[in-house]
Amino acid sequence: MGSTVSTETETTTDDFPPSGVATQVPLLQVRDLKVRFTQNGRTVRAVDGVNYSLQSGKTLAIIGESGSGKTVSSRAIMGLLPATASVSGSAKFEGVELLGMSDKELRTRRGPDFAMVFQDPARSLNPTMRIGTQITEAIRSHFEVSRAEAKKQAITLLQMVRLPSAETRFSEYPHQLSGGMRQRVMIAIALSCHPKLLIADEATTALDVTTQAQIMELLEDLQSELNMALILISHDMGLAASFTDEVVVMYAGRVVEQAPTRTLFSNVRMPYTKVLLDAIPRLENKSHTLLPVVQGRPPDLTALPPGCSFGPRCPYVQEDCRETEPPLEEHEPNHIWACFHPVIEGSSAK
Amino acid sequence: MAALAPDVVPRGAGIDLGGRGIPHAAAFDAGPTRFRRFFRSLELWLPVGILTFIVLVCFLWPVIHTIPAAINGNLLDANLPLFTHSSLYGNHILGTDTLGNDVMSEVLYGGRTSMEVGLGVAVIGFGIGGTLGVIAGYMGGVLEAIVMRILDMFLAFPALVIAITIVTYLGQSELHVIWAIAFFAIPAYARLARATTLRIKDQTFIVASRLSGASDKRILFRHIAPNVAPQLLTFSFLGIGVYIIVEATLSFLGYGLPSNIPSWGKMIANGQIFLSTTPQLVLVPSACLFILIISLNLTSDALRARWGAQ
Amino acid sequence: MTVTADQSTARGLQAGTPLLEAKHLVQEFVVRDRGGVKGGVVHAVSDVSFEVRAGETLGVVGETGSGKSTVARSVLAAPKPKSGEVLFKGTDLVKLKRRDLLELRREMQMVYQDPYGSLDPKWQVADIIEEPLVAYKRGNSSERKQRVGEVMDLVGLDPSVFSSRKPRQLSGGQCQRVAIARALTLSPELIVCDEAVSSLDVLIQAQVLNLFEHLRQELQLSYLFIAHDLALVKQVSDRVAVMYLGQFAEVGPSDKIYLQPFHPYTAALLGSIPSPDPNAAKVSTRGTISGEPPSPINPPSGCRFRTRCPRAQDICATEQPLLRELEPDHSVACHFPLAGESVTITMNGAPSD
Repeated sequence: MGSTVSTETETTTDDFPPSGVATQVPLLQVRDLKVRFTQNGRTVRAVDGVNYSLQSGKTLAIIGESGSGKTVSSRAIMGLLPATASVSGSAKFEGVELLGMSDKELRTRRGPDFAMVFQDPARSLNPTMRIGTQITEAIRSHFEVSRAEAKKQAITLLQMVRLPSAETRFSEYPHQLSGGMRQRVMIAIALSCHPKLLIADEATTALDVTTQAQIMELLEDLQSELNMALILISHDMGLAASFTDEVVVMYAGRVVEQAPTRTLFSNVRMPYTKVLLDAIPRLENKSHTLLPVVQGRPPDLTALPPGCSFGPRCPYVQEDCRETEPPLEEHEPNHIWACFHPVIEGSSAK
Repeated sequence: MAALAPDVVPRGAGIDLGGRGIPHAAAFDAGPTRFRRFFRSLELWLPVGILTFIVLVCFLWPVIHTIPAAINGNLLDANLPLFTHSSLYGNHILGTDTLGNDVMSEVLYGGRTSMEVGLGVAVIGFGIGGTLGVIAGYMGGVLEAIVMRILDMFLAFPALVIAITIVTYLGQSELHVIWAIAFFAIPAYARLARATTLRIKDQTFIVASRLSGASDKRILFRHIAPNVAPQLLTFSFLGIGVYIIVEATLSFLGYGLPSNIPSWGKMIANGQIFLSTTPQLVLVPSACLFILIISLNLTSDALRARWGAQ
Repeated sequence: MTVTADQSTARGLQAGTPLLEAKHLVQEFVVRDRGGVKGGVVHAVSDVSFEVRAGETLGVVGETGSGKSTVARSVLAAPKPKSGEVLFKGTDLVKLKRRDLLELRREMQMVYQDPYGSLDPKWQVADIIEEPLVAYKRGNSSERKQRVGEVMDLVGLDPSVFSSRKPRQLSGGQCQRVAIARALTLSPELIVCDEAVSSLDVLIQAQVLNLFEHLRQELQLSYLFIAHDLALVKQVSDRVAVMYLGQFAEVGPSDKIYLQPFHPYTAALLGSIPSPDPNAAKVSTRGTISGEPPSPINPPSGCRFRTRCPRAQDICATEQPLLRELEPDHSVACHFPLAGESVTITMNGAPSD
């Protein structure tokens, strides 16, 4: 993509021979991923050091609000960032370094290895091309199959994503389908080459909640069928809690909390995560409940405050938070966070 | 409108990340580096400066500095070369033409005329065409259909023929030339105004205004017009250059300005045959026209860049 | 906060009496094919009746195509519904002439979904907020300015900082505050919120919701709150109406709707909402809902939900169920409601018959 990349060279046990065998070896391993944008002399640290490992068949949630860096980090891995981005760190897919890979090679990998589903199907689908063609195009760019065979596969895919009347829909244009159906087509396209990893970037945000539930169930079924790994990028904590194995919470480009899902939601430590959870309207709340709010707005990525980025808005902030940036450390088994004064169960906000 | 994402970020602020749907950074107060800001403002102020310079020179120079006449020159002085000093008539910096008119003076007065014509047409187009377009677009229905079809009829005629007819019928004068060209500018402005109005009138803030009690008149004047005007303005800048050249064509054909009013277009048209002997007759007004049109276009681009950011 | 003369007279309405009554609202849109040929008719709202009582918040929740936004617009007669009545304090808006309608509209205002789109990009904040006063010719210049300042304080925007800003210099949350301030200027009694927080970040959304609640208490406002997020609507409202494909499926108190939904669609909605509580049940649509939402151009005969309903029978196709009250203040439009059953949100599978 033309982005400048500097990669780390690691000669640790992280190197392993690329293979299709899914074992305890991570499918995707991201280390110290950083993305910087420079424009008009200003530098934006969109992503500032992200680490995670994902096994085949597992689901990872990346939670954050706008500007948190959740989308940028995934696009960096897939090589979809504009030329103004400078990416550093490491993202190894089955042991092969993706950052710095040539465009040509990334293109051969996008599809069979990993695929991405975006938020807005209205803009991600070509309005002038029939649905079926868009799928067969994806298939035929990676596999040597006849047009008839590709069509057969495409229809099977559409049936797999539970699109009603798949045969008829094959020849239709995107505008003839509803939002939910279009999103399913997007998923079908993403799945057309049987990727080992699917990245869903706010893929269900624009959908009705019932459609969302149907699609999430579909993805779960497909995961177990294909042993596919899934990265769910979202701002919706409920979604993360229900469908994922591990959660990474990002704020201002940095990871602020990371843990297996159950652990995180039962023992929230990072104040930002807690604040996020408290701010969600719950079905259980009585009517006219006042939500606990934090003041302020997402931080300016070009001028982050000294110390903890969440400090200015944190209800638990103290002096040391404003001076030094809290390091991201594993304070409890399997539970990482970056905070000097984490939330301990039972403590109340300042 | 398509459903918006739950995350809405401060618009117009922060880094543009190539339009790939990557979230923008939050607003930052300080702007780009000083150099960039200077360069960016240069983009606008340089062409504007040139325009101002041209306008000032053409309109003020003859006033503050006596120069020989542009018309009714003495035939005895015909075809004088550059930098000729005539004790009687003063400096002929650029020489004279075949009729003895001072070229420099012709350029200045001609500039006045050209710009007046260009501006005149633009003002008429903006005023009449813009108004018609906005009203037609806002009111819709039968009114819109009638207005637009009438304007379409204007455009259906061969332009030059109509212009020539108008000038012949009304007589040759600067004002009539302006009206003749405006005949075609008005429908163009009206179309643009109508299209922009259609785009705006269903936007939420118009609905909000109406529900806040604003009358149609109020909405048209205070909401629609200010949002349509920038488009028409940038269109005008581009248009002025075109109108000046159209006037030149008319003058060349003899159906433009009367013989006693110079214009750059006329000079170019009439001076062609003398290109080998007295090239300045063509080159100077051409250069001036070139600079004027480029400045207009650059200004238009710079304005569009600035306003487009909204 | 100063109470203007408008407010003290308007609040004369007894709490609980109907402020707004919609009766048998119908709204349809013609879909035009290319070339202007009349295509189908979108039955956006089909015979909807409800009331908003003084001092209460009625939430209307529905998914895409449910017609909830159309209901909001119809209530304000913008545009007027095809048929039906909208009684505001007893006066039918639909029948009013333009001048009288304008006068009545003063008491009902709306906040829209798009924070930026609902503000004129070329206007300054103070002018935007002042516009209703100018349009209705209230007060002189200094009185208006004072009112604008009051209202900006109410929504938490510092007049000295924000008055001269333009929308593009504001964040989404701030824009919504401006929109709310504008809605409050004329001291309306009813505010219609059409997906007013759906475009905002979670934390900002919470701020704005709290603002709505504060204003409700301080100014005794009534709200008609439209959204697609059931948890959101439920939290904000006293009563909730669940809408499906142009009709009300169920109307009742928020807590009842949640604890004891009567309509299968409500149960499906509840079951689809993922909860951040790790101990809560898994989201599941199995047994609660299936298939795709039908098109509002050709809605199913009889009960419109029947094509996706696990409990549908023959009668559902032939006879349209009307909204009937099963419990005090809790109505449902269904031939086979889930009444009297302990609703199984916690279990996977269909509610037991």
